[in-house]
Amino acid sequence: MTATRTRRLAPLGRPELYTSYRQDMALLNTRSKMLGALGVLVVAALMPLMVSDNLLLILASGLVLAIGAIGLNLVTGYAGQVSLGHAFFVGVGAYTAAAMAGDPDGRYLGLGIDFMPLWLLGAGLVAALCGAVVAPLATRLRGLYLAIVTLGLVFIGQYFFFEWDELTGGSQVGRDAAKPVLLGIEFTADYGFKGGWTEEQKLYWLFLAVLVIAALVARNIARSRVGRAFSAIRDRDVAAGVMGVNLTRYKIIAFTISSFYAGIAGALMFSASGHFTPESFNLLLSVQFIAIVLIGGVATISGTIMGAMLIALLPRIASELPAFVPFLSTSASEHPNIFDFEQIMYGVLIVAFLLFEPRGLFGIWHRVRTYWKSYPFSY
Amino acid sequence: MTRSLVTRIRDRAATTPHGVAMREKRLGVWHEITWATYWDTVVDVGHALLSLGVQPGDRVAVQSENRPEWLFMDIAAVAIRATTVGLYPTNPTAETSYLLSHSGACVHLAEDQEQVDKVLEAGDLPELRTIVHVETRGLRTYDDPRLMSWEALLERGREHRAAHPGAVEALVDAAEPDDVITLVYTSGTTGPPKGAMLTVRNAEFVLETVLERSPFARPAPGPRDMTLSYLPLCHVAERVLTTWYNAGAGTQVNFAESIETVPQNLREVQPTLFFAVPRIWEKLLATARIKLDSATWAKRRWAAFWLRRADGLGEKLAANGGRHTAATRLVYAVGWLLFYRALRDRLGLRRVRHASSGAAPIAPEVLQFFMGIGVPMHELYGMTENAAVATANRPGRVRLGTVGEAHDGIEVRIDEETGEILTRHPAVFAGYWQDPEATARTLSEDGWLHTGDVGEWVDGTHLRITDRMKDIIITAGGKNVAPSEIENALKASPYIKEAVVIGDGRKYLTALIGIELDTVGAWAQQRRIAFTTYRDLSEKEEVRDLVQQVVDDVNSRHNPVEQIKSFRMLPKELDHEDGELTATQKVKRSAIDAMFHDLVESMYRGQEAGAR
Repeated sequence: MTATRTRRLAPLGRPELYTSYRQDMALLNTRSKMLGALGVLVVAALMPLMVSDNLLLILASGLVLAIGAIGLNLVTGYAGQVSLGHAFFVGVGAYTAAAMAGDPDGRYLGLGIDFMPLWLLGAGLVAALCGAVVAPLATRLRGLYLAIVTLGLVFIGQYFFFEWDELTGGSQVGRDAAKPVLLGIEFTADYGFKGGWTEEQKLYWLFLAVLVIAALVARNIARSRVGRAFSAIRDRDVAAGVMGVNLTRYKIIAFTISSFYAGIAGALMFSASGHFTPESFNLLLSVQFIAIVLIGGVATISGTIMGAMLIALLPRIASELPAFVPFLSTSASEHPNIFDFEQIMYGVLIVAFLLFEPRGLFGIWHRVRTYWKSYPFSY
Repeated sequence: MTRSLVTRIRDRAATTPHGVAMREKRLGVWHEITWATYWDTVVDVGHALLSLGVQPGDRVAVQSENRPEWLFMDIAAVAIRATTVGLYPTNPTAETSYLLSHSGACVHLAEDQEQVDKVLEAGDLPELRTIVHVETRGLRTYDDPRLMSWEALLERGREHRAAHPGAVEALVDAAEPDDVITLVYTSGTTGPPKGAMLTVRNAEFVLETVLERSPFARPAPGPRDMTLSYLPLCHVAERVLTTWYNAGAGTQVNFAESIETVPQNLREVQPTLFFAVPRIWEKLLATARIKLDSATWAKRRWAAFWLRRADGLGEKLAANGGRHTAATRLVYAVGWLLFYRALRDRLGLRRVRHASSGAAPIAPEVLQFFMGIGVPMHELYGMTENAAVATANRPGRVRLGTVGEAHDGIEVRIDEETGEILTRHPAVFAGYWQDPEATARTLSEDGWLHTGDVGEWVDGTHLRITDRMKDIIITAGGKNVAPSEIENALKASPYIKEAVVIGDGRKYLTALIGIELDTVGAWAQQRRIAFTTYRDLSEKEEVRDLVQQVVDDVNSRHNPVEQIKSFRMLPKELDHEDGELTATQKVKRSAIDAMFHDLVESMYRGQEAGAR
């Protein structure tokens, strides 16, 4: 009876006047959000032209961490299934990529697939497969029990990575990581087909592109039917089940998607150093991802990216500290030194955020935004 | 062919078929209705009414909250030269029954189960043949043969339209200026409601006056303007603002979800033209004050600074007829950037370019506050019997405390003997429905309408209203006192919702005072005063003291005869259903007197005992 026209945006200057459901649910539902997102993207894209290669490398590693952490946030933050086994899936991704891209005639397993998107996708899919296999555990267990069981996954994984020499090169030895090459551009070389750009700049742009895609996909999952099912399970799985959410199905979906992200992150994680050993995929890596999710903010994508950047920059921040804090030493043999500080900071940050800002960096941002959104009132 | 509301809508549907005519919020989304859809639906409903046997001159009643179907039914009825009768959704069963039988409506639109129940319980209504309901929830098991759903009505209309194409259009073109388009029942603080007949000519004169001849806002209202429709549509002010302006100027109507959600809907819609009754303005002011007071320390200090500036601005603007001087413009520009813009945005008044108050007297302090924060306020005067146009404060020539100047083409004079305000113009109604006696009392033979209000001229141009003629209090000492001025001064306090001044034939004035639950509740919470109900809170010693302060403050601004010597707290919130308020939330003095007789007497007894 009533004709409805759909419009992308609310009538000018009336951001809360939603005239269609689509507009209400849009990722960037206001002009200011749209401009803000565009601004952040432009700054991020121009970063390689503004900062030194050293710092750029750190930022690039942050971008990869963010991809993995988004995956963990989907399963832990959105769907509420605590997983300490993220490092295992990252490892699966890293080895799958290395094996697919590796030299067929080399010492270790290699299929010689040079085409980057293919091994990237392969790494994600194999990790996702592992995730799907493990997922039924989550349908039987929850909370602390699930955390302990997924913790076991890390140790099983470590055993395989240490012992399967043909694939991993074995403990302390390791093997070369997959080399990102696309359309003749070697991302890990200092020369390109048009020259000029350094390895760090190119890697940064590559990671940024992958992260943007990964983040967009994650945001879209979160605001879809699947995302709503995740939230329902997180808030109360029994209630979700009563509402008609298929618990088994959505828990499997959560683990599978999360593992896919971990696989992608694993495939790219060692591109810069070019070499990695099985020791990398230990419990500490899992904890690092958990830290990112908690510090960044549970169940937010933008927060996860902020958290990943902070964790990646932590060593750099620690190394800058002795200039301000005289008793911190830069030498590893003296105590207290910056490496101690860095380790402690993980713990301190997690404890502090859980106590004072449970919603993480995103929570801080949210608070700032609310302050101005409600100005001159307080609510 | 006579130009009417209907032809105006038809023309808009032809020239701007895809323009937005109205928006309705359903499940969080504002669904837009275009002019083409509006007109098409009107024609369908018009055909449906024809198929139901509605003849020109018949009455079609509507009892519903504001929603598109109200307008569809209203305009469709007018299109086939029938008469629309609006009922308040808050009308209790007895009043509903009276209005339906008095108007003799043959088709009735009852919004939902609640309204349908009222009609079914109303008893014998021989002329009522069809009851249309919009919301079917709860009505599935009803088997009254008169019931029909809105969808069924539309379906019927489409069938009739296919069988008799052009039947509605023919009636539209046959309309005469003297056709009665609506009966507006006046709220009736005394006696049963009377149905004022408004004609095509009345409506056209209103639209030509306030939109074309002397537009009330510059630039003149147009299709880019947004309004929020939230006051009952059966009241003449909201009908003019929603249905008539929409047809006449093409303003976009946005239907609020309910009266409770007005603040929220205001923020979403950010209307450009906003009319409110004093009650709403007082409430908005109280909300702003409370929210600013409960903000964080820094925000509070900041707000206090800018509100002091706003006080100054308001004073200057009021003294200058609402026009800025260079100095105030500068202060306001800085304040707009840093504070007023945000404040107005939160209140939903950021884009308001013409704000107005009417239908009841308002305290000048309230108007001045809004002027200070940059909302261009204008007090208007009109009544049902003159289609809500008589006088208005014009932009740039505002005088606080007056209701402004007469519009072009409108004669206003004050009766020398009684001081009663009289108006004469083509929008004066055609008479009361089936009540020639009351018509003769109100409408003199030479066309002057007796408004029942007492007023005086200020500077020969602006009209000031003293009070309703019958409300004027004559004390035992023989002094004439206008209670509404004192009541409004009391109600300007955010803590006071109702104030009823008493003293007719008494030695001195007293008052019954009802607190505003939200604000006093928040105030009590801040002071850790525990309370349970409205009554419990009202009877707290601290609350009495709070009200006493307000009363003392008001008393200090009045001469001794007009001072409140004693007051009592109302033990309950006044309500339409309990018969204490009219449908338009005006206090029924007679009912209050009867209901709280003991309270009133105690105020006079107590004093005498004390004197003895």
